[in-house]
Amino acid sequence: MKDFDARWQRLVVAARRVPAAEEAAAPYGFSTRIAARALGGPARPALLAVFARFSVRALWVAGVLALASMAANYLAFAGNEEDDQGPLDPVSEVVASS
Amino acid sequence: MAEETFDVAACLDRVRQRDQAAARELVEHLYPLVIRIVRSHLPRRVAEEDLAQEIFLKMFTRLDQYKGAVAFTHWVSRIAVTTCIDQLRAQKRRPEFRWADLSEKEAEVLDSVLTSESEVATNDALAARELVYKLLGQLKPEDRLVLQLLDLEQHSVAEISEMTGWNPSLVKVRAFRARGKLKKLFEELQRKERS
Repeated sequence: MKDFDARWQRLVVAARRVPAAEEAAAPYGFSTRIAARALGGPARPALLAVFARFSVRALWVAGVLALASMAANYLAFAGNEEDDQGPLDPVSEVVASS
Repeated sequence: MAEETFDVAACLDRVRQRDQAAARELVEHLYPLVIRIVRSHLPRRVAEEDLAQEIFLKMFTRLDQYKGAVAFTHWVSRIAVTTCIDQLRAQKRRPEFRWADLSEKEAEVLDSVLTSESEVATNDALAARELVYKLLGQLKPEDRLVLQLLDLEQHSVAEISEMTGWNPSLVKVRAFRARGKLKKLFEELQRKERS
């Protein structure tokens, strides 16, 4: 690792010698465009903001509840399957009784 | 950045009252910071202005979440860094790194680093920088970011922690792992050169 560290450091020391680019000012019209897009529309009602904030959490909670209810009802379904004698078949019942 | 001559708090108050002039001033004030982050972490095929625009729009959308616990510039840096990471993640997997992908000068620099103990020549700095970016481009976005901030931009662990929101231990662990991956890449390149 030491060998690699020395190599890597030599490389980054050389790379750092490149002078930093000059600080750039925003291109013409950039800030106007951003301000218009960010604040141009109507203000979002507070209720909608609260809804947006909690909707993802609500989705998770709903998912967990769905899984929990499936798990809780699984045993009931499995138990019913064992007791199930199959669908009623009137023809076979008639044949059997005759 | 002339933080002391620009009253960020007052500007934010005006922006919260939906003052477009204040929003423009804020964008112009923060643009050099954002574009510096964008340029140093720019994913391939993404225009820097598009990425800067996305960062500023996110900043305005999340402005209600800014409570002043950290400096506003740090908060914006964090948005910029995470947006760049998201963009890098969205890209397709990097192709395998080959000697043939390097320019003549970059191959020369890499060869010199791998085979000799001497320093890289001063006039090869640009090629060295390109090479560093190409090597870092082989890493996962988070690994690339941490090495770039630590080794290339020489930020401290604490600064990186503030910029990214990762705790200092995580920054150190990521740097260690990233160096390990880079070491493997160096070994692979050395093998390929010999064969």
